[in-house]
Amino acid sequence: MTQQITLSGIEKHYGGYHALKGINLDIPKGQFVALVGPSGCGKSTLLRTIAGLETISGGRIEIAGRDVTAVPPRGRDIAMVFQSYALYPHLTVEGNMTYALRLKGLSKAEAKARAAEIAEITGLSALLQRYPRELSGGQRQRVAMGRAIVRDPAAFLFDEPLSNLDAALRVHMRAEIRKLHNRLGATSVYVTHDQIEAMTMADHVVVMRAGVVEQQGAPLELYDRPANQFVAGFIGSPAMNFVPGRVGEDEQSVALDLAGSPVLRFAGRRPSGEAVTVGLRPEHLELGGAGGNSLTLPVALVERTGSASYIVSDTDLMIAATERVADGLGQVTVHIASERVHLFHPTTGVALR
Amino acid sequence: MLRFDRVFRDGGGFDTLLVMLALGYLVVFSAFPLIYNVVMSFQEVDLFSLASFDRPFVGWDNYSEVMGERVFTPIFWNTVQFVGLSVFFQLTIGFGLALFFQQDFPGATWLRGLFLAGWILPGLVVGAVWGWILAGDFGVLNYVLQSLGLIEGKIFWLSDPSVSLYSGIIANIWLGIPFNMILLSVGLAAIPADVYEAAELDGASRLHRFLTITLPLMRAQLGAVISLGVIFTLQQFDLFAALTRGGPSNASNVLQYWAWQLSFEEYRIGQGSVVSVLMILFVVIVAFVYVRSTRNEHAG
Amino acid sequence: MLAKNLWTRWVLLAVALVMVGFYLFPVYWMYITALKTNTETFQNPPTFWPHDPQFRFAEVWVKYGLDSYIKNSAIIAAGTVALVVILGTGCAYALARVRSVWMDLVLFTVLMMQVLPSSLMITPIFVAYNQVGMMDWPRTGVVLAQAAKVLPLYIVLVRAAFTQIPKELEEAALVDGNSRMGAFLFIAVPLARNGIMVTAILIFMQSLGEYVYARSLITDRALQPATVGLQFLTGPNASDWSGIMTYSAIYVTPILILFVALQRKIVSGLTSGALK
Repeated sequence: MTQQITLSGIEKHYGGYHALKGINLDIPKGQFVALVGPSGCGKSTLLRTIAGLETISGGRIEIAGRDVTAVPPRGRDIAMVFQSYALYPHLTVEGNMTYALRLKGLSKAEAKARAAEIAEITGLSALLQRYPRELSGGQRQRVAMGRAIVRDPAAFLFDEPLSNLDAALRVHMRAEIRKLHNRLGATSVYVTHDQIEAMTMADHVVVMRAGVVEQQGAPLELYDRPANQFVAGFIGSPAMNFVPGRVGEDEQSVALDLAGSPVLRFAGRRPSGEAVTVGLRPEHLELGGAGGNSLTLPVALVERTGSASYIVSDTDLMIAATERVADGLGQVTVHIASERVHLFHPTTGVALR
Repeated sequence: MLRFDRVFRDGGGFDTLLVMLALGYLVVFSAFPLIYNVVMSFQEVDLFSLASFDRPFVGWDNYSEVMGERVFTPIFWNTVQFVGLSVFFQLTIGFGLALFFQQDFPGATWLRGLFLAGWILPGLVVGAVWGWILAGDFGVLNYVLQSLGLIEGKIFWLSDPSVSLYSGIIANIWLGIPFNMILLSVGLAAIPADVYEAAELDGASRLHRFLTITLPLMRAQLGAVISLGVIFTLQQFDLFAALTRGGPSNASNVLQYWAWQLSFEEYRIGQGSVVSVLMILFVVIVAFVYVRSTRNEHAG
Repeated sequence: MLAKNLWTRWVLLAVALVMVGFYLFPVYWMYITALKTNTETFQNPPTFWPHDPQFRFAEVWVKYGLDSYIKNSAIIAAGTVALVVILGTGCAYALARVRSVWMDLVLFTVLMMQVLPSSLMITPIFVAYNQVGMMDWPRTGVVLAQAAKVLPLYIVLVRAAFTQIPKELEEAALVDGNSRMGAFLFIAVPLARNGIMVTAILIFMQSLGEYVYARSLITDRALQPATVGLQFLTGPNASDWSGIMTYSAIYVTPILILFVALQRKIVSGLTSGALK
């Protein structure tokens, strides 16, 4: 596969603030990449450097095999969907969609024909003569998408495009954008703070924190084998439980720092006596102690969503169960498969395998 | 060269260029005259040396001459009175009106806007109209005051040295009310209604709410309006030109009008510059305090 | 802010009407006097409604040579607005967009320039004009000086209009293929056009009333604006009050009509920018 976007050693300083620290990223043609992380992690800044809206302090950006590091946005052949949609309020939907085409030098008729064609795909045909202020939130979002698609750019950049929509519409548009991507086969970079969005939409997820890429890979890869405690805690909902512990003498089990020092086996070997942070996903703690490798926890609270029950222990450990749980549960015994027990270094947070 | 072009078409150079365009103009037509004014205040400038570039420097002579002028002290106190009374009444009347129009009744906003008509009129026209209203023998103000029994004989607002300054002050208050009112209305509108509702529930009376909520929350706004009032009042020139021309015998003269008279009627341009420099210095200090305070507020 | 019953609302309206009427009495008096005969003007007690309304507008227009005065006022005002819009719009835009210590300094300077009184700036301008031979084009000289006087206000108000435009719109335009210039001219300016227009009209009205510079720089009667012409008639020894008021009425009626038509926009434009 050829690389459509290549970022090498991207640095960005804002005065004394180091926003991006040596970011490397290769995005193959046709891939859907999500940049995800908490606010302030630099994901939006990274996207804007790809667009050329931010200058970089160091490094190199290539798009479609061309070095565009010093090229202004208009020369980069990219389309961007903004969080606020940034529709031109003084232009109709058609005007918004043809604006870039006209700048590219297409004739009025050509541009209109192309806009009509894309409007068909995105379901905007009936709205072409409307102004943005006359549209609903979902429709505006669609116009923003249409305006990007009509360009047929080298890459699509999305800056949290769904965060202004209500929950139901967000889920709907999530699927729609992904379907559109499959259909167009275009390269997309998608910024979001919502890990579920990233997991469900992307082929490749890049988790960022404080200007650094913490881990990148396929969504399930990040879920199954998080490289460090931050990624482990960020990916997955509800978040992974972390408990301090110490490796036992058999080098294959760990004693948890909980009442009664319960012992859990893990896959692999670690030196005896090593202090670790143990990571347990709530959904991997299965009710019932069958098969050993189990622990018993006093129950403090049960939350029910209907499809799941979240049991919170007195030490704030969370258990996600699909079965209904009765009231007045004093304590609960849960089982976890040894290969699902994650170990992290207690200070650096690096995953131990 | 190519790099140069890029900076201006796509980079920050574009902003710099735009700013420089306006700033350059202001430097030539505002900053330069400002400095030139200071230079001239140390030179001997009259009708004959006007266009010459080679004028003798006279040190502080112009300054001592202006200060030594017999009329300097009365004109100075006139200016103080003019500014003080104008700003005080503009502010109190403007604030009163702002509070009144803050209430909810049909057409409040529109009617409030009508007051700005006074502000939009050319100062000279306002002066002419007030000159007619204040006219001694046939002025409508004297007639009204007499009918109400407030005065015995006619007051010669424009030609009686003991009151002629007040004609300028009255007209200037009228001119300044709208601006004060609108700016204070903005401040009042910015105070959230729930603060008042909370105070009302706490049992605060109307007067109490005004003293404990409105006034403290309006402090910054009041400061700004007072500063602007001082600045605008010191800019007032047209009213004097239309009403009294500083007369009779400087009884209603103020520094900004006197400076102009020195330069353009007596051609003592060096001395005119001295008065201008002193006035501008004062205005700039007031403006500096004002701008600083509003800027800080934004940052904080 | 407090719940009012219907009655109080109407009482308040009545009081408001009285206050507006009281405040605008001078404007009323100007029009009424303009309509009076000379005898009625000097009648004692004065009449508050003309018995025999006279439309002396044409007569006064000719008698005081208003055609030349009004034409010159319009030329000065139009020239000032053109110059200010060309010079100030870009600066206002840049000041709204870029946040840096330098831009803060520029804004500060601009705000300070706003307060310089014309009557004090005129002396150095007059001398400098004499030195460089600018006195041969006195009307242009007035336009240049007046533009410097009102440019800061224009920049401050239009800047407020530009700050209302989301930055993303311009970024979208850049990504869509515009240069900075293109994004400014085709996206930012059209979106701020209301603010620009209202401010330009405000500047126009202010410049129509310009007096100090015109009085000091223009000696040729054929080039003087209406303010200077009016000033010759007024003062402590004025006598033809009916004529003066007619002159004033002719002069300010277009301004007042324009103001009432645009009142709402002017007020909101002023208040948005004035204190920032």
